[in-house]
Amino acid sequence: MKEDYSSMRGEMLGDGNRGRYARQILLFGEEGQKKLKSTRVLIAGAGGLGSAIAFYMAAAGFGRIRIVDCDVVELSNLNRQILHAQADLGRAKALSAYDSLAGINPEIEVEAVVERISEENVDDLLQGCDMIMDGMDSFPSRYLLNRAALKRAIPLFHGAISGYQGQATTIIPGKTACLSCLFPRAPPPATAPAIGSTCGVIGSIEVTEAIKYVTGKGRLLKNRLMLWDGLEGCLEEVSYEPSPYCRECRGLGRDA
Amino acid sequence: MLISMPDGSRRVLSRSEARIEEIVKDLGINPEEVIVAKNGRIVPDDETAGGSDQLKIVRFVHGG
Repeated sequence: MKEDYSSMRGEMLGDGNRGRYARQILLFGEEGQKKLKSTRVLIAGAGGLGSAIAFYMAAAGFGRIRIVDCDVVELSNLNRQILHAQADLGRAKALSAYDSLAGINPEIEVEAVVERISEENVDDLLQGCDMIMDGMDSFPSRYLLNRAALKRAIPLFHGAISGYQGQATTIIPGKTACLSCLFPRAPPPATAPAIGSTCGVIGSIEVTEAIKYVTGKGRLLKNRLMLWDGLEGCLEEVSYEPSPYCRECRGLGRDA
Repeated sequence: MLISMPDGSRRVLSRSEARIEEIVKDLGINPEEVIVAKNGRIVPDDETAGGSDQLKIVRFVHGG
């Protein structure tokens, strides 16, 4: 039987959105869609992961997206950073991202910030944000996001990739281990090989987690690290716990 | 001990209880590049393993 949500959707989401979200409203209802609309997101990075994250969050109707990146688009980015096109070469990635996202979904608010995320500006960048999406490419910058998430008590959706491999987990301050509990040491710096499809897998998992978090559906990747091995075609998980020796949270989420 | 290596291969290792960091080093792996799950749960590398424990050595990634 076909259900008609049109009148209510028109009232709550605006006529411009009539029909846009019909397929996902089947999953989490008008109420869930309204929650996405009122969610404010910081996407840290507009590279390979950030591209996949931003595309799917914009299309899903997360209401306010602030995307931050300090780099400009280079030719070697275009194999995977699908927010950017040939014509964007030399432009700031954040501004290129803005154009792509506004094109996908003009009903949401997008804010582009051309800055490097640092200790000095992270508080300002997170002003008003309900969650952090990890699209960074190094552990020092991820530790910065982790500290900010702990301080503000907002979730951090972690993802990282290299070549055919990737990982993802969901950090909820006070309820789960933090990123430093899981990865107490940063790996040695190196340029990671990358294909767009791996960024797509991991970025999509991060967005799925964010949707589940906002709509209250399913089982989040809390204290679970999902590991994707594209060469093997294998997805696995390992569990982890808050660490009482963690330098950042001292096992804050242990008893929750 | 059954050990799952970062490349997906498996090894059976017969050795006495030892710190996981030592086991990893003895396998020729830099402990700074991996995290280790003992019997399905990630543990600090100063924890020990031996006997019938199962270790999974994961080379975590950092790119974006």
